[in-house]
Amino acid sequence: MMGGLSLSFGAPLVLFGLLALPAIWWLLRLTPPKPQTETFPPLAILRSVLKTEETPQKTPWWLVLLRLLLAAAVIFALAAPTLNPRDSILSGSGPLALMIDNGWASGPDWDDRQATAEALIGEAKDAGRPVALAFTAEGSSDDATPAEADEALVRLRAAEPRPIPTDRAAAATRLSTALSGGAQPSLVLLTDGLDSPRTDDALQTLAGLSPEQAVVYRPPLDGVVGLTSADNSTEALVVQAVRPEGSSQGASFTVHALDEQGRELGHAPLDFAANASTAEARFDVPVELRNDIARLQVEDGLSAGAVRLVDDSFRRRRVALISGESSDLAQPLLSPLYYITRALQPFADLDPAKSADLATSVPELLQRHPSVVVLADIGVLPQAASEALQAYVENGGTLLRFAGPRLAAQTGEDKLVPVRLRRGERQLGGALSWAEPQHVAPMAASSPFAGIAIPDDVTVSRQVLAEPSSDLSEKTWASLADGTPLVTAETVGAGSIVLFHVTAEATWSNLPLSGAFVGMLRRVVSLSRAGGGNAGSEAGGRTLPPYRVLDGRGRLTTPGPDVEPLTVGAGEAPAVGRAHPPGLYGTEDGYAAVNLLSPDATLRPLPDVDLGAPVEARGYGRSESLDLMPWLFSLALILFALDALALLALNGGLARLRRRLSGGSGAAAGLSVVLLSVLVVATLMASPVNAQQMNDSAPQAGRLDVDQAIEATRTTHLAYVETGEDAVDEISRAGLEGLTRYIAAKTSLEPGHPIGVDIAADELAFYPLLYWPIEASAPMPDAAAISRVDAYMKNGGTVLFDIHDDALTDLSGAVSPAQKRLRNILADLDIPPLEPVPPDHVLTKSFYMMERFPGRHSGSELWVEALAADPEGAARPARGGDGVSSLMITSNDFASAWAIDDSGQFLYPTDNADPRERELAYRAGVNIMMYVLTGNYKADQVHLPALLERLGQ
Amino acid sequence: MPPIGQTVSPTPSRDALKRARQRAALLPDLLVEAQRVVSSTISGWHGRRRRGAGENFWQFRPFVDGESVARIDWRRSARDDHVYLRDQEWEAAQTVWLWADASPSMLYQSRGASVSKESRALVIVLALAELLARSGERIGYPGVMDPVISRNAAEKIAAALMTIGQKPGFPPDDRLQRFSEIVLVSDFLDPVDEVLGHMERLARRGVRGHLVALADPAEETFPYAGRTEFRDPETGARLTAGRAETLTEDYRRVFAAHREALADTCRKLDWGFLAHRTDRLASEALVAVHARLAGGLHASGRRI
Repeated sequence: MMGGLSLSFGAPLVLFGLLALPAIWWLLRLTPPKPQTETFPPLAILRSVLKTEETPQKTPWWLVLLRLLLAAAVIFALAAPTLNPRDSILSGSGPLALMIDNGWASGPDWDDRQATAEALIGEAKDAGRPVALAFTAEGSSDDATPAEADEALVRLRAAEPRPIPTDRAAAATRLSTALSGGAQPSLVLLTDGLDSPRTDDALQTLAGLSPEQAVVYRPPLDGVVGLTSADNSTEALVVQAVRPEGSSQGASFTVHALDEQGRELGHAPLDFAANASTAEARFDVPVELRNDIARLQVEDGLSAGAVRLVDDSFRRRRVALISGESSDLAQPLLSPLYYITRALQPFADLDPAKSADLATSVPELLQRHPSVVVLADIGVLPQAASEALQAYVENGGTLLRFAGPRLAAQTGEDKLVPVRLRRGERQLGGALSWAEPQHVAPMAASSPFAGIAIPDDVTVSRQVLAEPSSDLSEKTWASLADGTPLVTAETVGAGSIVLFHVTAEATWSNLPLSGAFVGMLRRVVSLSRAGGGNAGSEAGGRTLPPYRVLDGRGRLTTPGPDVEPLTVGAGEAPAVGRAHPPGLYGTEDGYAAVNLLSPDATLRPLPDVDLGAPVEARGYGRSESLDLMPWLFSLALILFALDALALLALNGGLARLRRRLSGGSGAAAGLSVVLLSVLVVATLMASPVNAQQMNDSAPQAGRLDVDQAIEATRTTHLAYVETGEDAVDEISRAGLEGLTRYIAAKTSLEPGHPIGVDIAADELAFYPLLYWPIEASAPMPDAAAISRVDAYMKNGGTVLFDIHDDALTDLSGAVSPAQKRLRNILADLDIPPLEPVPPDHVLTKSFYMMERFPGRHSGSELWVEALAADPEGAARPARGGDGVSSLMITSNDFASAWAIDDSGQFLYPTDNADPRERELAYRAGVNIMMYVLTGNYKADQVHLPALLERLGQ
Repeated sequence: MPPIGQTVSPTPSRDALKRARQRAALLPDLLVEAQRVVSSTISGWHGRRRRGAGENFWQFRPFVDGESVARIDWRRSARDDHVYLRDQEWEAAQTVWLWADASPSMLYQSRGASVSKESRALVIVLALAELLARSGERIGYPGVMDPVISRNAAEKIAAALMTIGQKPGFPPDDRLQRFSEIVLVSDFLDPVDEVLGHMERLARRGVRGHLVALADPAEETFPYAGRTEFRDPETGARLTAGRAETLTEDYRRVFAAHREALADTCRKLDWGFLAHRTDRLASEALVAVHARLAGGLHASGRRI
């Protein structure tokens, strides 16, 4: 480094290379570009034209300049220049005391911090000063004793950002303990720019060191953002986020929702308004997808705060509702489901039974894997429903039942209750009773309902009673003031059954009217496992082993040795700390997510620091010094490109290119170069535009050309498929033209000129018959086109496939390319069984009496859809089946036999020179056309005797 | 970028003969002549409208004593009391000299052309020889072969060219007689004055000429661009153009003027002139020259 200058060179010796520039200049001037050598006989004529003998044996000065610049740029680049190099920071002679924030907010720019610290330590090393290093997110094992710079460097490199809040006071204490009594230190704070709870204490402690010099580094706080909560509400998933207070400009981030495998399920914008420190992002994704979300993170937010892990409790539960009476909506307040619906609507997706028939509606509901099935006052379940529910519970479902008159009245043994019930209900209070309506006892601490406060005015006047048993108290979640169970539960298999001994509406108790009811239902629902499981019905106070924890950059890793198991109290958020970094606690099957920021967390920027010495504020310096090397190399590259262009221009390459482009015949190469460059530019700059245009043009393919449609339907047309091979299409056209004329001459049908159709774009429904010559070299139609043909055939059209190379009769059994192509086409079509035209098929009689269907070749059968065997029709001379065969296959090359030119001459000879062969080919065409148009009409020989009789007269 | 034009090796005349035959086969026997000459005149044998040695009947005339008795036409004489002789029309074959330039500049072929000029010249000459031999002309090749009447004159010329070879430069004109025709196939890139001098010398000897000026497409259109060094295959002289594309206009103008000078002289001398590019079909030149030649022969026959 060359100190003092604003420009320094990493390798200044390379600059001696600049001395070579004059030599380069001399060389460049000397060697002109080599001309193209051309033999040219009329040189004498050319000489008379070329008046001034051009001898620019020197390169133009500007080209020399360009190349000199190029060389200079490369030399400068190799010298590794740096603009605004980092200058020395430290002053004084005491130890260097470094306090480095490595809490969660340091994740994104930890490398910058490390680099700054390294530079500082390097400076201390040069000055021979000891270094005391304290990390604010480390525990008491972090040793702040001043050490050799090399040792400090090793520790620095081993340090990692932690996913936890900083504890600056502890670090300051360690530092002051280690440095007390020594020389006045140079104090450098590498902060993350955020305030933390005991920063003031820390600063006071540090000020007690009476530092000689104090430097505080602060990073910009633009990108710091933390996710504080994720709320899976009814209509959307809402993610709350905070950023440091005092940020005045608006900012927008993107929040991504990922599943357990890290696949993205959705993203939503997170826009902070100006002067706002909170914002929310709304994910509008379906519930099923939302339930797959395992992690929410801010894009590019490489810190534990920018990640929100979610666990089972986050997922929305699907609750199936079944009530004994399904048609009492006239009095909604008396419906048992009314209060449950109102209570659960905000937290879960409700799925009421569709029909009153429990035998069908219960299994139907269970198929949708609800988390909780609510049975409100159902006494007797049909056998099928009962078994289905039993299986559901054993597989981990939660069954929530409410008592009522029907349950109280049931006589048989009911397996789906947690405790045995006494028949009938108990009535408290009323005219004939001494007892008063009972209050509800406070929830026991061991109950899942612990923490839910029951208002004093909640009373129970009727309930069903449990038979006393030894385990009744274990199964009781809530009880009345006199100790009788109000809510009992039992674990069955992997699931559980919960019974409220009162009704779900307000007839037996006013509990459903209270907020406690909502809390209890919600607790039950949240205890249930999403998708029909149960997270465990044991009481609160679980101890969960760490499963996966976040690291300082917001990545999930396996927990380190100092992570301790987490004890989750019911309803309280665990404190995040060194022993409990944010992460997932539990096992792979079920875990609880611990997140860094609580829902009410705020972020405050670090206030001004008073350290008892003049405080020098700095930013992390990496952005200040600018490495010029890449820029210089870019400049050299640009100059090089300019040089190449200039050479092209000098040698006439540009003119040649231009001429080639306008020339046409030899333009392919030049054109491709230009096209390529245009393409590259287009893809780089305008790909969204392209996509837009493609979207715009897409619907046009399906649009109908009205004129063409009118033309096609004005009269019947024979149609052929345009294969894309011009020669084949021309034969098809000429062939169908010949057939058209023959048909017009011999029959009452007068078709219009044949029409070539593009199966990918044209409307096919206008044509009764599509002639499709199979040519292996023609492009294979795409799947969409083939599905259009399929629809055409299904809607009554007929396709005549012609493998016109006579391949079907090949005895070798080898599959010709055209046959292979036909197979490929037919592979995607819905093809009925085929058979060669049987002698009694209506095709043989639809106009002419035909025995075979020759074309240009005569060897191939004509294959049509197989007719169903018709026992009673055996005596009839013709069978037609029920419709027209949707496809015919031949390899006789009909079109060539039919083909005529404009003057009516046949274009191609038939294999058999007999003119009758041609006649038969035409007749085959007529029969096919008649068959296609009239169907099985000719097979209808019912009136034949009558006709004959009439003819006889 | 490969050069546009190159110098190719000389075409073996055997090969040229084969291609010439193919070209000649494309033309029916004196197709053009047949349109012009009345049916009484058999193509190629040029009836001189006078009595003489020949095969065609010209006239009956009374026998004069002293004439050969063998020439008496007895059939005619039997019809009356006189004795008649049967006169034949005098017929004479024309001498046509053919010459293809063999200078090194003819060996030039550019990418736009399928053959070199030399090859094209040989093909035209041999095809003409084939055609003219079919119609019984005397065909010679100055400096290589004296005029012969032979059905396989083209082959003879090809053989002679192979064995004897041909000197570059204009043909020796010492053996050229009056009223003979000469077809000169060349690129005529020598200085105009030189070429005109030769032509006038030939014209003074009473020889009628036809010029087929061959040009390669590159020579005519000058498709060069950029810094280009041009080399003359004949003299080896070199010329460097800094930006060749700027010369295109001027060059084309001068080249056309060169051609125009030749054509003018030909018009003055009543010679035929045909410009032909090697990227066109040889048959085109062949048909044009042959038409011209046939018409000219006819005309010259009448001139006597």
